[in-house]
Amino acid sequence: MTADPLALNPVTGIAAATTDLSKVYGRGDTRVVALDRVSIAFREGEFTAIMGPSGCGKSTLMHCAAGLDSPTSGSVRIGTTELGGLTDRQLTQLRRDRIGFIFQAFNLLPLLTALENITLPMDIAGLHPDQEWLERVVSMVGLAERLGHRPAQLSGGQQQRVAVARALASRPAIVFGDEPTGNLDSRAGAEVLGFLRESVRELGRTVVMVTHDPVAAGYADRVVFLSDGRLVEEMVQPTQDRVLDLMKSLGARSHTG
Amino acid sequence: MLRTALRNILAHKARLAMTALAVCLGVAFVSGTLVFADSTAEAHRAAASKNFADIAVTVTEKAPEPGSPAQRRTGVLDDMLVGKLARVPGVAAVRPSVDGSATLNAADGTPLRAGRAWSNLAAAYIPGKDGKDSRHPLAEGRPPSHSGELAVDSGTAAAGHFRVGDTITLATDGPVLTKRLVGIVTTDDTRVTAGGTLALFDRATAQKLFSTPGHYTGIDLSAAPGTTAYELADRVAAVLPADRAEATTGHAQAAQQAVLVDTLTRGYEKVPMVFAGVSLFIGSFLIVNTFTMLVARRTRETALLRAIGASRRQVSRSVLLEALVVGLVASAAGFLLGLGIAMVLPGVLGTGGNTLPRGPLVIGPRSLVAAFGVGVGVTVLAAWLPSRRAARIAPVEAMRTAEQPPVATRFRLRGAVGLGLLVLGVGWLVALSGAKDASEENLRNAMAGCALLVAALIVLAPLLAVPVIRLTGRLTGGFGITGRLARENALRDPRRTAATAATLLISTALVTGLAVIGHSTGQALDRQAAAGLGADYVISTRSTMTGIDPSAVRRVADTAGVRTANAVTDSTMFTGGGVRQISGVDPATVNDTMKLDFVSGSAENLAPGRIAISSTLARELAVTTGDVLDIGLGRSERFTEYTVVGVYKDNPIARDALATRTEVARNSLLPGSVQRVLVRADGTEPKTLEAGLHTALGNNPLLQVQDRDQLVREAAGTMADLLNVMYGMLGIGVVISALGIVNTLAMSVAERTREIGALRALGMDRAGIRRMIRLEALTVAGFGTLLGLTGGLFGAWAVGSLANGAIDQYSLTLPWGTLLLVCLISLTFGALAAAVPARRAAALNPLEAVMEA
Repeated sequence: MTADPLALNPVTGIAAATTDLSKVYGRGDTRVVALDRVSIAFREGEFTAIMGPSGCGKSTLMHCAAGLDSPTSGSVRIGTTELGGLTDRQLTQLRRDRIGFIFQAFNLLPLLTALENITLPMDIAGLHPDQEWLERVVSMVGLAERLGHRPAQLSGGQQQRVAVARALASRPAIVFGDEPTGNLDSRAGAEVLGFLRESVRELGRTVVMVTHDPVAAGYADRVVFLSDGRLVEEMVQPTQDRVLDLMKSLGARSHTG
Repeated sequence: MLRTALRNILAHKARLAMTALAVCLGVAFVSGTLVFADSTAEAHRAAASKNFADIAVTVTEKAPEPGSPAQRRTGVLDDMLVGKLARVPGVAAVRPSVDGSATLNAADGTPLRAGRAWSNLAAAYIPGKDGKDSRHPLAEGRPPSHSGELAVDSGTAAAGHFRVGDTITLATDGPVLTKRLVGIVTTDDTRVTAGGTLALFDRATAQKLFSTPGHYTGIDLSAAPGTTAYELADRVAAVLPADRAEATTGHAQAAQQAVLVDTLTRGYEKVPMVFAGVSLFIGSFLIVNTFTMLVARRTRETALLRAIGASRRQVSRSVLLEALVVGLVASAAGFLLGLGIAMVLPGVLGTGGNTLPRGPLVIGPRSLVAAFGVGVGVTVLAAWLPSRRAARIAPVEAMRTAEQPPVATRFRLRGAVGLGLLVLGVGWLVALSGAKDASEENLRNAMAGCALLVAALIVLAPLLAVPVIRLTGRLTGGFGITGRLARENALRDPRRTAATAATLLISTALVTGLAVIGHSTGQALDRQAAAGLGADYVISTRSTMTGIDPSAVRRVADTAGVRTANAVTDSTMFTGGGVRQISGVDPATVNDTMKLDFVSGSAENLAPGRIAISSTLARELAVTTGDVLDIGLGRSERFTEYTVVGVYKDNPIARDALATRTEVARNSLLPGSVQRVLVRADGTEPKTLEAGLHTALGNNPLLQVQDRDQLVREAAGTMADLLNVMYGMLGIGVVISALGIVNTLAMSVAERTREIGALRALGMDRAGIRRMIRLEALTVAGFGTLLGLTGGLFGAWAVGSLANGAIDQYSLTLPWGTLLLVCLISLTFGALAAAVPARRAAALNPLEAVMEA
């Protein structure tokens, strides 16, 4: 995994970027512009939160950036790889080798144990996990005791911790989280967010997370705000209160505007 | 609720299609086999039945007194009598006939449709007043006019590739005849149109062949309007010489014939009925399984209905109603499909020389009732259980998230019941293995035991699924994570997996059992035939009604390369219990061509009044050497006492009993005749010798020359039929279970949309998803096959011991090739069945996983 030149590229320092990214659904009367020429870069070793009201296009942005959805126009790069020209197979491989995912609904495979779920992306690739790294990740999320359990035997918080470990286990260039705390109570949510921040600070990972929760955004290094498919605001070193204030003012602006 | 039920049907077209297809195929197999059974029976009946519709009265010679050695053909049916009958008041028309049988050689020199003795007809062309024979309208050429000519019907001409002007080789009962084909007629005699042959001679020739010159074999009379057949029969009887001829009404003949035909054709229904039974059983499984899944899939929907106030009764009634509609529509479609199957089946089953008689499709009420009974009945019944389950769904289920952990089912009761059945079935079969003969009762017991065993396997299958699939998982494990996931998915709901595998289980068990028993029996018969045969060639007639002409026997003996040629006369023998086959031999030379292994006594003591019998017969009649038996030989209706002078081990060449040839021949159906010649060669090149034998016999179509291999194969001939049945059942089972696998996988893919999406998001490519689904199908198919194989082998072992009692040489031998083929076919179809669900799963968008449901 250390062979990935992009993750350590000192020149760009950009883990993923979008340029003039647009996504349009439907046509004619039912035409909806979900993303409108969004250009954004996610720096390496940075924890970014994407925020915005429902329907602002934040999930679509993440899906496109992660190669799960294809944009109508514009381009997406992971490292220096342009996603536009890739076949489904190449995209699949890219997701497998360079991207980690954390879903709101955990999406663990119910029939596999926690450990098997964590090593799943590497099993799919037919690779052997780096034991030392794996142990580090597992001990970080505090799951060492429960590796033999199946998802059904774990609490929601524990399941999401397994999902975090799964996203980090193959040392991806970038980890995307889609409302990772959306299904968790506040304490479990705080734990998961703590691990995400730790993975950036201690393990040098890059994390991008979609959320509508100001508390969650407070854990990030940077928050970007989306409204009606456009990038409207950006905040560095956010705190929960500042995020809340900005949301209020954005809300007021959209109401008056 | 009716509207809800109908909406449900329309809302889930794909699911509906799968269910309807399941019902449709189930019904198609059942009705198809039933229609096939009816049609075949009807065709067989037609093939053996003469049409008596326009015959009021037939005058025939009276059978001579049994035992009277006097001239058999009293010759009373002559032209004078015909003239006299024509003047009887009420007689509209008189039509004398000379009927017999003739077997023809086709243009390529092989016997033409010679399998069934009663369908190779011969008759005289008897012109009426207009110079034409109304029974045999000419289609081409002219009627035969002297002994060197003949006519055939158009079907025979087509089958034999004859053209007017050809020289045809044929035989009636004795020596070979050659005649020139001068005419082709048409006939509506069903015996001929269903796959027989008809040869027509001029009147004098026919009389010479089948009667005596100037005499007929029968005179058919039709009644004038206003005269009943019975009145006519009475009037006719009055003018007949009472002791030498008799009048029978057409009705009486038809009734008599019906009884005979029923006995002849009863056997033909069995095979298709077995098919129908198997497809009914397996088809029901498919339907039950599909409906169970259908209801399971709709848990949330049903719960929602309950939550908004639908009562349990309404919910279950809605499910039942849905089943009724699906059942009705699918049954109708299935029935039509079944007609197609019935049309194709004869071609599939009638392979080799043993073609099935042809006839129109017969759609009896039984087929219709069965089709709709199965289609609607089984479907509604299949829906009843799940409908109760559906009714029990708590409204709160509606509020649960889509992703649910696999349902843990309590298996304790199932385990107890299954184990009970298993112990009972195994015990039954093991107890039976002590029995030493294949009596009807033992066979019935064996079948009951096997049925119990299969039932136990079906009940236990969900329990066995976990350990067995864990084991087979070792194999699929080689495919890495896809194999591992396939295994776990197959185990996710063991009950569903087991139900899906059940169809394959049943068909594999049946086929394995039949294959092993068939193979073992075949081998045993081979060994028995080889052990009992001292001759190198056997020349035989195809029935005891015909004989080998004495001059041909002499010519065979004189053929270069023949060391010994022993004539054998075959006949029947009535013991109190039934009809047996007896062979008449020359005691001095019998050991040259038969390898008889005497348990007691010997063949040398055979003489008039003395017989030797096989060990099976000895056991059945409880007699041994030195005892006296009361038997009736051949035509003689009187029972005579015979002394048993020897008991030999069962020998297919010697058959059930041996007596001197003179004694058997005196009473055989064709007195003095020879039915078999056993030939011992002196080492001449077999090809030359065979050609010599054929020449000596004048290439007679009535006779067959078989070498050792052919005889051994013929002894196992019934096994070939069994093989057809076996592959037919495997076919039904495999197709239905493939459908079941498609169904199960489609549902399981639909349930796992998010999971599969997550796998795609995490980097599993489409090929990986496809492989995973295929491996899952293989796992399920493998499970069913493995269980079926085990059950079938055990059953074959247990039932085999019965055969062991009947045939000394029996030992359990495994037809490895067949078993391997069975496994391969089952697994291949399992893998093929996965194609559609696998493609659908692979096409799923990874976004499905991230989008909230």
